Amino acid sequence: MAMKLDEEKKAKVKLAVKRRKKEVYTPVIPDTQLGFVHNNVDCIGCRACEIACKDKNGLPAGPRFRRVQYVEGGSYPEVYAYKVNISCNHCAKPACLPACPTGAIFKRQKDGIVDIDSTLCIGCRRCEATCPYGAPQYDPEEGIVKKCNLCVDEIDAGRKPYCVMGCMMRVLDLVDINQLRQGVYDTKAIAPHETPVRAVKNFADPTLTNPSIAFIPHSKGKVE
Amino acid sequence: MMKLCQVIVHATLALGVITLAQAESSNANLQYNASRWDPIHFKPAIDSASNEQCLTCHQEIIDRKVLERSPAGLLPEDALAWYQTLDTYEGEQDTFHRRHLMSDYAKEVMDLRCNTCHQGNDPREETANSSANGDTALTQRKHVDPTLCLMCHGQYDAQIMGVPPGDWRETGNLFNFDCLTCHAAIRTHRHQVNFLKPQAIEDAAQSRKDVCFGCHGGRAWYDIPFPYPRHAWPSAGPEIPDWAKNRPTESTARFLATPN
Ligand code: HEC
Ligand code: HEC
Ligand code: HEC
Ligand code: HEC
Ligand code: HEC
Repeated sequence: MAMKLDEEKKAKVKLAVKRRKKEVYTPVIPDTQLGFVHNNVDCIGCRACEIACKDKNGLPAGPRFRRVQYVEGGSYPEVYAYKVNISCNHCAKPACLPACPTGAIFKRQKDGIVDIDSTLCIGCRRCEATCPYGAPQYDPEEGIVKKCNLCVDEIDAGRKPYCVMGCMMRVLDLVDINQLRQGVYDTKAIAPHETPVRAVKNFADPTLTNPSIAFIPHSKGKVE
Repeated sequence: MMKLCQVIVHATLALGVITLAQAESSNANLQYNASRWDPIHFKPAIDSASNEQCLTCHQEIIDRKVLERSPAGLLPEDALAWYQTLDTYEGEQDTFHRRHLMSDYAKEVMDLRCNTCHQGNDPREETANSSANGDTALTQRKHVDPTLCLMCHGQYDAQIMGVPPGDWRETGNLFNFDCLTCHAAIRTHRHQVNFLKPQAIEDAAQSRKDVCFGCHGGRAWYDIPFPYPRHAWPSAGPEIPDWAKNRPTESTARFLATPN
């Protein structure tokens, strides 16, 4: 049993922590890093992945771990539409993790999954604010933040997450992000002539946190 | 007969009540949707919105506090994050918004307004770019562009400063942990923007060593430093270093305007 500190000792501990003051944050470098690939062009926007995710995680109306976004534009006859589908990108350098004051957010050494133990969440919503990709979701009913954990139980059982399993177009997949980026992984989400990219139009700057995601971009969604 | 009458009266009353409730809720629904699509959430109205205007509907941004305890029983007062060991940190655990708008330190050195950060959002997808005529400058799935946060939450850029590589908390002892050792003379034209209090920052830095570092590496959750504009300063030499060749020489225009 941990010793319980009385008020006076607690204040002393806090002061000591303050005086030491050389607290430096050291990021976790995982052995491998899992990441998603999404084909923006072939996705039909049916949102089966979103619903599978809500079902798996028992989410009420409001929080959406995965979100399919419809991007439309142009003017007749040159109109276009494509989808961008993002949940948590399980970043190499997540911004949510160092911002969390309680240690509720952690990154797995084994496969780089960024998970949250929401029972330790005090609802300060710092992770929600710092994440450049809108992953952490506030649940107003419980007053805490929840997020995608890549269906870690499924991963540990050797399966893919619910969103990937639910995708009828096979435009969403998950594997070691390096294999995806090097183009050595055989998946229906990437056609032989397609090359995955790190970011698409209006996706936040990937150098902020190095998100573990690859896209097959639409011609109108390309950046650079 | 009497009975039937009563039933009818009751039924009519009940119906009446239902209709009224329905009317009320559809009215509330209308109001809610009208508020979501209020022009204040879009350009150009958002640019001139005052905090007070936003707060007439969003007072909870200021009122909401952290939970008294987490679901597992963790007390906020028992938590202290690594960045909360800076000498500028005071008070209890608080929400993200309150730390930027309400904390004594925030109010001392900054003057952030809702629209410093919020540049609009598209209610259709609660985010950017969901339609051909939507605001295309917005960031996907975010209400606020994170590069804005990077100005105050980026890495400390040791490389360009000619200081030893590594974390300032470890290398700063060479300079007695005082940024002003160099910055009393270098890049002295700084912080002349509408969301900072430049004189208050310099004053605060005289007595607290972590003031400068706090916004320039001490609370860095992003992997990169911010590419600051490079204003001319009195003792600056004529040549421009390579890393600065593409830098603007003035702050972003919207940060120069006087806020309402
Ligand atoms: C007339 C009332 C009203 C005013 C004034 C107003 N808002 Fe809103 N705002 C709303 C409503 C209603 C919503 C939808 C909230 C929801 O669905 O949870 C909303 C949504 C938002 C959202 C997105 C929230 C979300 O979860 O999608 C942001 C951000 C926001 N407002 C910021 C502002 C800012 C900044 C201002 C001032 C420039 C402002 N609002 C002024 C009523 C208002
Ligand atoms: C330091 C920058 C900053 C300032 C200043 C700021 N906000 Fe926000 N606000 C954010 C961020 C970041 C989020 C989370 C957005 C996201 O994840 O996309 C947010 C979320 C919100 C939301 C939606 C979520 C919620 O908490 O309900 C509303 C509404 C909102 N802000 C209103 C305001 C109002 C009103 C003000 C001024 C009193 C304000 N904000 C000032 C950065 C800021
Ligand atoms: C103008 C500078 C500035 C900007 C811009 C800014 N912040 Fe901050 N931020 C601060 C300061 C100063 C503090 C420390 C406040 C304190 O200790 O009271 C802080 C504290 C924080 C904290 C820690 C809060 C705590 O409880 O200790 C988080 C998380 C944070 N900011 C996230 C963000 C995000 C996300 C954005 C962009 C939406 C942002 N900040 C924009 C200056 C800024
Ligand atoms: C050894 C001297 C030295 C020390 C100590 C030092 N700096 Fe600098 N700093 C420099 C020089 C030199 C530059 C680049 C000047 C130029 O633009 O040519 C610079 C540039 C900067 C910039 C602008 C960066 C950019 O991308 O434009 C910031 C911000 C800054 N310093 C903050 C700090 C802070 C905060 C500290 C303390 C934690 C600090 N410096 C300590 C010498 C120093
Ligand atoms: C509250 C957060 C905050 C604090 C405290 C702070 N800075 Fe900054 N600093 C900023 C922001 C934001 C900018 C960019 C402003 C702009 O766009 O012009 C900046 C810009 C700079 C620059 C670039 C100057 C240029 O050429 O425009 C230097 C150098 C710098 N800061 C040094 C310091 C030093 C030294 C201190 C301590 C005396 C300090 N800062 C304290 C937020 C802060």
